[in-house]
Amino acid sequence: MGKPEFIYVTYIETTPEKLWHALTDGDFTTRYWFGARLRSDWKVGSSFEMVRSNGTVSDAGKVVEYDPPRRLAYTFVNLSDKYKTDFPALATFTLEPYGKLVKLTLTHEGFAEGSKFYSGISKGWPAILSSLKSILETGKPLEIPFEALKMEA
Amino acid sequence: MSNSRFVYVTYIKTTPERLWFALTDKAFTQQYWLGACCESDWKAGSPWKLAFTDGRIADAGEIAEADPPRRLVIKWRNEWSPELKAEGYSLCTFEIETVQDAGTDAVKLSVIHSIDRPESAFIQAVSGGWPRILSNLKSLIETGSVVLPKKA
Repeated sequence: MGKPEFIYVTYIETTPEKLWHALTDGDFTTRYWFGARLRSDWKVGSSFEMVRSNGTVSDAGKVVEYDPPRRLAYTFVNLSDKYKTDFPALATFTLEPYGKLVKLTLTHEGFAEGSKFYSGISKGWPAILSSLKSILETGKPLEIPFEALKMEA
Repeated sequence: MSNSRFVYVTYIKTTPERLWFALTDKAFTQQYWLGACCESDWKAGSPWKLAFTDGRIADAGEIAEADPPRRLVIKWRNEWSPELKAEGYSLCTFEIETVQDAGTDAVKLSVIHSIDRPESAFIQAVSGGWPRILSNLKSLIETGSVVLPKKA
């Protein structure tokens, strides 16, 4: 068994520029990312944070790549005690024009073996990226309560 | 571990019943399955096939389990590529779950496609296909239009 790696591909009817904005604008991410605001100045090496609606930081890491509107990469790990044996893993987004669509590929890798955080993100990303596709194509995100992911299971 | 496996989860704004219909109605599948459609009477033990619009069979097998609108398992083999056909039967499981909250009508769809052999070329092939088909299905249900072009 190799180290865990999460890969997800989705095709979205939008432009690379709009998708880039949706992935990096904190006001926009609050609408589809379980209310999380992404906070960073997006310079390579700068801090990257996910901020809850009450202002506390849930996840933190660093910006690794910022090449709009093609490639975005950052590390992060959840700061709760549950994941204290984990370390920041690398999430890389590639945006490729595909006819009138954009092919979005997310690769999340570099987890510790037996990582609990890996099992958490494997449940979180499909919900976040499904809601992202919905908001870009229909104007409305999905309403998926965080509890529905059954993170404890 | 000697099997190959592809897992894809997507959330769609619909009901379990509509999603079941979308997965099992021949005419509806033809709209989003990139130039093919699924045919079966969807009862356990019945034959199942995925046919191109010109009638050629792409994949075939039988229904292993059908529990509408929650769970569907298809015993599935490729029929058009000798190399993929030689790998034998795979199992494709669809699980439909409602998202527990009164204020939402999103449904969770999990597709788990596996075969009992390592480094399967068939599973590699479907790993490229499922994200396109399921992206197309989600758009069709949510917006009324598919987003990917038809191609055989």
